[in-house]
Amino acid sequence: MNTLNEKPNYNDDIVKLFTIATIFWGIVGFSVGLFIALQLAFPALNFGEYLTFGRLRPLHTSAVVFAFGGNALFATSYFTVQRTCRTRLWSDGWSNFTFWGYQFFIVLAAIGYVTGITQAKEYAEPEWYADLWLTLVWVVYLVVFMMTLKNRKEPHIYVANWFFLGFIVTVAVLHLVQNISVPVSIFSTKSYPLWGGVQSAMIQWWYAHNAVGFFLTAGFLGIMYYFVPKRAGRPVYSYRLSILHFWSLIFMYIWAGPHHLHYTALPDWAQTLGMTFSIMLWMPSWGGMINGMMTLSGAWHKLREDPVLKFMIISLSFYGMSTFEGPLMSIKEVNALSHYTDWTIGHVHSGALGWVAFITFGAVYHLVPVLWKRSGLYSLKLVNTHLWIATIGIVLYIAAMWVTGIMEGLMWRSYDELGFLRWSFVETVQAKHIPYLIRAFGGLLFLTGALIMVYNVVRTIRGDTAGEAVQDMVHDTPQNNGQNAGQNAGQNAGEAVHV
Amino acid sequence: MIEWLSDNAGMTGLLFFFSVFCGIVIWAFRPSQKKTIEDHKYIPLKGDEQ
Repeated sequence: MNTLNEKPNYNDDIVKLFTIATIFWGIVGFSVGLFIALQLAFPALNFGEYLTFGRLRPLHTSAVVFAFGGNALFATSYFTVQRTCRTRLWSDGWSNFTFWGYQFFIVLAAIGYVTGITQAKEYAEPEWYADLWLTLVWVVYLVVFMMTLKNRKEPHIYVANWFFLGFIVTVAVLHLVQNISVPVSIFSTKSYPLWGGVQSAMIQWWYAHNAVGFFLTAGFLGIMYYFVPKRAGRPVYSYRLSILHFWSLIFMYIWAGPHHLHYTALPDWAQTLGMTFSIMLWMPSWGGMINGMMTLSGAWHKLREDPVLKFMIISLSFYGMSTFEGPLMSIKEVNALSHYTDWTIGHVHSGALGWVAFITFGAVYHLVPVLWKRSGLYSLKLVNTHLWIATIGIVLYIAAMWVTGIMEGLMWRSYDELGFLRWSFVETVQAKHIPYLIRAFGGLLFLTGALIMVYNVVRTIRGDTAGEAVQDMVHDTPQNNGQNAGQNAGQNAGEAVHV
Repeated sequence: MIEWLSDNAGMTGLLFFFSVFCGIVIWAFRPSQKKTIEDHKYIPLKGDEQ
């Protein structure tokens, strides 16, 4: 079972399932996002009780973060850990359980959101029964991953697996502490948290910021450290820098949460601590970005030829940009202007759409032909179309949010000569209408790009090719890819000796 | 001992974590191990796996 003709017999069926789920939930999450963006521009779109903005917003965030992002992490971590350990994923049964168990959690949580069952904690809305179920699924995920590492044939554990393991372990800790609560009764969906007051607020943002740091950053850096070198056919720029990247990220991120609570009841020293660690995070973030980008050092022409690699490198650019913007916004004086405004929404989306979704699209485009054993993607031109439509969509989105965010921030703090507030709240909302339309249009472009990906993936799985000349330039075929990788590895080993 | 540690938890914690971190950095950047550590970067490219 574990080997076939003395070669590792990888479990790709489970990766296929998670890849399909990634694409499916991505479309769901982006569509709901577009709808709630339109609700903000046109409040009349808040239909009835179940489809109001307040209920659909957590549906959107959970669908994109936990359903789209989560399934992408399952797919890529299961794919990567098998290849870099050269062993089959541990236990087909339990890995299947993580798939169906995780999808069940998503559905369970989503039903709660629209019916108004919520803990009212950002990114931790699911109630106690869904939390307990997720805990079980997550522990099984950890066991499957650890057992696969234990069975490895490669003596060294490759750095991508460190990031994946860091993500799995930390998310488990965050989930458990954040969701300690007492149900009203065993038959009630309602629970009360054990923490109260400012402690509760601090734990909330310790949790939520590290959901960004470990779910949306560490996990997706695991994708970067495997798929960028694999796609480029070159090793990562510096392995020692990747070790430094990993440990500095782990040591610093966990302290950054208090920057969400500037100028609140949280003690000043804790706010300053959060700000300081957030600023320090500039260094590992940019170190990691440089490490990923410089992987292409000496082979920049591949970026021109391969739109899949373009997705990955643009995603690293957005990673660099949003990890520059984040520390900036964590500075108290900047935060006094940016907090509670749309600037935060824009920042989140430059990270989520630009970094998380783009590295995922890159990984999906790489995975699909490999998993379904096709000679290449149906059409690389369509990948290029997806790339540019989505990039323009993101730029429109974040530019609109910078405008509305800074505008409303300035309007809120504007006084007249007698010391009265110059603008009422509703005037700031009216002023944002046009940028909100631009934001929704950006979201529409992003969704359109993703639908192009769905078409491309479906045609690829069916075994079609668009017959483009450009296809030959990129080493998509399994045979070519293997040869190139081998040659490049040889070349680089030679270079290393010279150095 | 425990009492002293809890009274000075902030400083002892800071020194402990900072020295562990420095230890990791020194370990990773030992000049003698440069080639051994850097060679691990070829793991994804070795073999004929896709």
